[in-house]
Amino acid sequence: MKWGNDLSTFVEKFRQYLKPGYYDEFDYHWTMTIDLDRCTGCEACVVACQAENNLPIVGEKRYAQNREIKWIRIERYWEGEYPDVKMGFIPMLCQHCDAAPCEIACPVFATYHNQDGLNTQIYNRCIGTRTCAVYCPYEVRYFNWFTYTWDEPLEQQLNPDVTVREKGVMEKCTFCIQRIRLAKDNAKDDDRRRVRDGEVVPACVQSCPTEAMAFGDSNDPEAKVSKMMKNPRGYTVLEELNTTPSIVYLKKAHAES
Amino acid sequence: MQFIGAGSLGVAGGVLYGESVQKDVELLIPQVVPPEDYSPGVASWYNTVCNQCSAGCGISVRIREGKAKKIEGNPVHPVSQGRLCARGQAGLNVLYNPDRIRSPLQNATSRESGSFTEISWDEALTTIGSRIGRLRIEGNASRVRLLTGSTRGGLDELFAQFMSLLGSDHYQQYDFTDPGALRAANRIAFGMDQLPHYDIKHADYLLSFGADYLATWLSPVHYSLAYGHLRQGRDGQRGRTVQIEPRMSLSGAAADEWIAARPGTEGLLALGLAHELLRAGSYTGSDRDEWASALQPYSPAMVAAETDVSVDTIVRIAREFAESTASLAIAGGATAAGTNAVASVVAVNALNYLAGNLNQPGGIFFNPDPAFSAAAGSRQVGMQGMLDLAEAMEAGDVEVLIVHDSNPVHALPENVRFRQAMENVPLVVALSSFHDETTDMADLILPTNTYLESWGDDVPDPGVGFPVASISQPVVAPLYDTLPVGDIVLALARRIGGELPIRMPWGTMEEFIKARWRDEYDGRTAGLEGQDFDAFWQASLEAGVWGQPGIVAGDPSMPSSAAMIAALANPVSEFAGDESDYPFVLHPYLTATFLDGRGANLPWLQELPDPMTSVVYGSWAELNPATAEDLGIREGDVLEVETPAGSVSVPALIFPALRPGVVAMPIGQGHTAYGRYARNRGANPMDLVSMQIDDRSGDLAWAATRARVRNTGERLQIIKTDGVTRTLGRQILGPKNDHA
Ligand code: SF4
Ligand code: SF4
Ligand code: SF4
Repeated sequence: MKWGNDLSTFVEKFRQYLKPGYYDEFDYHWTMTIDLDRCTGCEACVVACQAENNLPIVGEKRYAQNREIKWIRIERYWEGEYPDVKMGFIPMLCQHCDAAPCEIACPVFATYHNQDGLNTQIYNRCIGTRTCAVYCPYEVRYFNWFTYTWDEPLEQQLNPDVTVREKGVMEKCTFCIQRIRLAKDNAKDDDRRRVRDGEVVPACVQSCPTEAMAFGDSNDPEAKVSKMMKNPRGYTVLEELNTTPSIVYLKKAHAES
Repeated sequence: MQFIGAGSLGVAGGVLYGESVQKDVELLIPQVVPPEDYSPGVASWYNTVCNQCSAGCGISVRIREGKAKKIEGNPVHPVSQGRLCARGQAGLNVLYNPDRIRSPLQNATSRESGSFTEISWDEALTTIGSRIGRLRIEGNASRVRLLTGSTRGGLDELFAQFMSLLGSDHYQQYDFTDPGALRAANRIAFGMDQLPHYDIKHADYLLSFGADYLATWLSPVHYSLAYGHLRQGRDGQRGRTVQIEPRMSLSGAAADEWIAARPGTEGLLALGLAHELLRAGSYTGSDRDEWASALQPYSPAMVAAETDVSVDTIVRIAREFAESTASLAIAGGATAAGTNAVASVVAVNALNYLAGNLNQPGGIFFNPDPAFSAAAGSRQVGMQGMLDLAEAMEAGDVEVLIVHDSNPVHALPENVRFRQAMENVPLVVALSSFHDETTDMADLILPTNTYLESWGDDVPDPGVGFPVASISQPVVAPLYDTLPVGDIVLALARRIGGELPIRMPWGTMEEFIKARWRDEYDGRTAGLEGQDFDAFWQASLEAGVWGQPGIVAGDPSMPSSAAMIAALANPVSEFAGDESDYPFVLHPYLTATFLDGRGANLPWLQELPDPMTSVVYGSWAELNPATAEDLGIREGDVLEVETPAGSVSVPALIFPALRPGVVAMPIGQGHTAYGRYARNRGANPMDLVSMQIDDRSGDLAWAATRARVRNTGERLQIIKTDGVTRTLGRQILGPKNDHA
């Protein structure tokens, strides 16, 4: 076995990843912004993602064992005590980190970075070591402990553009890659080289009743998302870990009194 | 004439593929000869109307190979504007629910048994038709009663025609979520039945008395959009919101300030604010003296003592409310569910009146006359009407009861004894898609198409400030041997005979809806020049909605204040149960997921963490952390919650934003039927509500019962997704150095 060689390729590749500017060279850099001053924690996005991406209905028993699968979830954080108590919501989904800890960890490169800056998951390459889930600081990777089925005829709803996953593979938010593909196809059919801003709308972004989320290509300075990212309220979660997330949150504003 | 974006969607609207879809569901591509607008692998979108609550959001449904794949908001619909809530998204679980009723059923043995056998449509319709027909001929048509939920639009009109041609004036509606107190108070204050347009979008100071406008109040998607705009839609101007309620709702969590006034005193707080507003000289109208004397007793000191809100807070909020350019006060939830509900909402209306918020941007706009002369909410009978119905049934005055889209057995407090009263009705007919508690008590079940398989139309209430009407169309062919409700009504009319089939000549609901739209088109010439009916119909159908944004309410004159002043008094709610026996106030609340329980049979909603607590699959009773500690209660301890009306056992949940002395319980679970996802799960707080009615609206005061709790010593796991709910310095919600 030529471990030495393999390792050096790996290290080399990894060094390349760390080169500043590496990810800016991508064709697109899909980015999301979530304005916490608009988000009400209503969870419309959660159901939208479930519908779009064929997320399983795991049942009460599995839920009680923490086996639920929700690519986007709403986290709740309390501050203070009654009566001066406040609740903060934050939608949490795969951050599509540019320096993704999950990618380094996978022994079979089932999770990798694609040319658009997405952190993708190749289901039929995944061997289910679950290492990536351990490495992900955002806890947004979900493992299929079982092959889930749908009570007939619920399966008729399944989105034909999205794979149904089986026992033994890891899954997580894809930034609705099927919608990105469709937009690219449409652009190609129209003889356009690039997708226009606003043409890709992931299911969660689409549904959000407060218009809290924006999605687009941050390589395009004119894109809505690029403008939102410049908002002084912008921040990334767990910034200190240097994962360089592709999701920029805008912190909740406070009333001037 | 301005269409709302007809055609701007770039989607095909309208006509459905052939009937052949129905049986060949096994085939990948169901049609033998596919219709012209059909290509495998390409999705089409059809516009229709959501039916998951009464808001009337326009939706677009994505269809692939004849199957519904995804529901999104209809971007050109003025209520939803392309967005949708969790319940609306879960509409596909209604359509493809494994527990749908698939053919007409007949009760096999007794009402309680819940076992049914299949019968044919012909037999079922003949049985019902001949019985009703006989009653009609005997002149006993008033022994036929029709009960529906929040039926609106064409279907409501069809039901009304059916009943009046029959000769029975007993068509009534009951929907727990219908804002009866709000309607009654608006009638007093503004003299109108239609709900006004609350312009949250342009408000810069929103004061909500118990109205959870972001999740359950009137039109949640519309108000969520408005809220987003209020916060961040205007450069350099961020609107503020204040929420007054004993238990923090989603809207309370979003608010800048959450105030847990003593339950039942919210209306009094509004009067205190009004008093202060007047005292500070903000109001200068000619009726100032009348107001001053009516509000004279409600000094901040007196109100502070009653409401447990400090004098400083009252004075400050009154000032902020008066000084804001666009302030708005709204009322709902528990504020509108005390024995003083109507008085409380009138008090809130008075605040709007005194702050000059009527017919002002960011305030309250009155809607113009609705399309189709829709009489909004006029058939809602409230709790008093349901008691009367139960009494008539008990007395043997009802021979045929037809129920559609209403589940009184689950929704009414136990002591109405609706289930028992049903025993006295010789023929109960349910028009339903699911075996809910009421349907299971029927002798005959006529299975209905879901809203995604039906024709219909709708006039949203509350409207959006200009006339709007939406069209519902089937987006898939019916899955089973079911019929659209409208078609059932028409078929019954034919069986009953007499005048009915002559005056109701339409073969199907589709024909009826089209005829109705033709009438409306004929009567509404303004702005329709140069467009023939077919073009108008086709465009409306494709857009899913028709509206005339130019038209506003004709007479925006100020309502007279005399009626409001006369109705201000008596603002503290009376609670059932003695405080010494029942130290807690029971606070039932509508949930964002199930609303009043209608969503409990949808697996996506059962698996959706409750937005405020993250709990799934169950119900619970909430206690303030300090209260729980005093009583030695931990999360998961099974509590017996007891009121003068009854008792239930539920696990305890410690909820940080709950006023001490209040025990809060979500409404929606506790079904004894309603399919595999809903059945035998959690408790129904309606079993705890004492029968108290606010005379002025006839509605149940469901937030006016006292309770006691007892730790049973048993434990039950509460299933929830939240782990640690404190950020522990991790700055997950953003860095502490404040840029904003
Ligand atoms: S849909 Fe929008 S407002 Fe609702 S929880 Fe998701 S991000 Fe927040
Ligand atoms: S959020 Fe987690 S799963 Fe997503 S890219 Fe980052 S480390 Fe990987
Ligand atoms: S981007 Fe798509 S996959 Fe990711 S959370 Fe949103 S809806 Fe789900």
